Amino acid sequence: MIQMFRVSKIYPKDVVALSDVTFHVQKGDFVFLCGPSGAGKTTLLRLIFRDELPSSGQILVNGRNVVRLRESKLPALRRTIGVIFQDFKLLMDRTVYANLQLVARVLGIPESISRRKIGRLLKDVGLIQKADQTPYKLSGGEQQRVAIARALMSDPTILLADEPTGNLDPDLSLDVMRLLAEVNIRGTTVVVATHNPKLVSEMGHRTLILKQGRLVEEIA
Amino acid sequence: MFWERLRTLLSETFLNFRRGGWGILVSVGAITIAFLITGIFLLFTLNLSAVVDRWAEDFQVVVFLHDTITEEQQTLLRKRLDGEMAVREVTYVSKKDALAKFRRQAGGQENLLEGMNTNPLPASFELRIHDKYQTAAALKQLAASLKRVEGVEDVLYGQEWVERLTGVIEVMKILGIVVGGVLGLASLFIVANTVRMAVYARAQEIEIMRLVGATRTTIQIPLILEGTVQGGLGAALALGLLYFLFQATLWQLGTSASILFSGPELARFLTPEYRMAMIGVGVLVGGVGSLVAVRRFLKV
Repeated sequence: MIQMFRVSKIYPKDVVALSDVTFHVQKGDFVFLCGPSGAGKTTLLRLIFRDELPSSGQILVNGRNVVRLRESKLPALRRTIGVIFQDFKLLMDRTVYANLQLVARVLGIPESISRRKIGRLLKDVGLIQKADQTPYKLSGGEQQRVAIARALMSDPTILLADEPTGNLDPDLSLDVMRLLAEVNIRGTTVVVATHNPKLVSEMGHRTLILKQGRLVEEIA
Repeated sequence: MFWERLRTLLSETFLNFRRGGWGILVSVGAITIAFLITGIFLLFTLNLSAVVDRWAEDFQVVVFLHDTITEEQQTLLRKRLDGEMAVREVTYVSKKDALAKFRRQAGGQENLLEGMNTNPLPASFELRIHDKYQTAAALKQLAASLKRVEGVEDVLYGQEWVERLTGVIEVMKILGIVVGGVLGLASLFIVANTVRMAVYARAQEIEIMRLVGATRTTIQIPLILEGTVQGGLGAALALGLLYFLFQATLWQLGTSASILFSGPELARFLTPEYRMAMIGVGVLVGGVGSLVAVRRFLKV
């Protein structure tokens, strides 16, 4: 499902973000990507949905070689990957509903169909009552859940979450993790980047540990 | 499916329009002004050249005949005129016709001729000249040679002022093209800038769209549509203002207009073709401006 082979990413001025990373995530896996801030977690995720290209190495996602993917095939790849961004990337001046509808528009789903889908997703994340509010008025945890619902709009085969509990209190963190676990149970491959080792040990999934751009340990 | 998509696209465009606020107002306003100024030039030039065309149409060389001309001389002269390369049409105006014409034209002042027992007006040949011979030099030569023919009293022509006016029109046309071109480019720039600002204002939305797998087309089409609407709206507004100015000017000119155009109904607004063309150019300018802005943004 996701395969990286000897992947390195070096930013200008010789800033090494990732160095010789090799791993394999199977279909249906739930994997934690752990490590201190600046270890290269976000870069690794961005390589998967090709927001970045590696300096060297090969990356396979859903059987496609992402590195050699043509620009025109990029939208198709991204439609199979749901991403929950660290900063959520919600449009703060639009309603929760409109934020999800934006994805429907991108995917070309007619509103008659997307309306039901958005309703279902918002119910799943427990925000159906807040559909007409702007994220601005929501709490951090609620915004997080909007971001999750939006990432699931395209029925992705892979869900990437970057620090989804970064600024939530422990109770809310567990809620969010449970939500992601549910998504995983339904068959979606989930990769969660986090610097919170406590969360990882509580959930007990396979964990890849990054340090200064290197994959230093793997806990099965 | 298609209609629903179209509907979504259109409603999105107009929603964006509302979100754009002042920026769009400034842009549409700038386009309106650019098109209005160009339109004024166009309208002025078109009407002036129409007037001159009409005058030029009437314009003739007139060969006045001696009262004493013999029939033989007249036939000879007629033959010669018919054979003249420059002459397109020859009309004989007898003394009687000339008097009738004078009476008609003098309108209300026929009594000028009353008390005269004889008709003082000479008979004449009125010549219409082929366009390509309507130059001062050619006419001067023609007049000089005709003057030497027996039985000809005088030859009148007045090409110089027509030439001068034609010159003015040429200058106006060139000026119009230059001004129109410069303003057109300016509005292209303005639209491109407004759309670019709109694009920057929505940078986050566009980024999200790209990240969730939007194709370039999905991102570009609403923005380009927005530009075409801006351009078309600006041009249409300019057209409306132009029409208003046109009517107001005619009303101001009043009777002077009727002399200039031999009747105010002869002053013409832009034909439907010109109107369509103006809006078309507006739409084009808006679309191209947006395309340039969006392309530049998406490349970064």
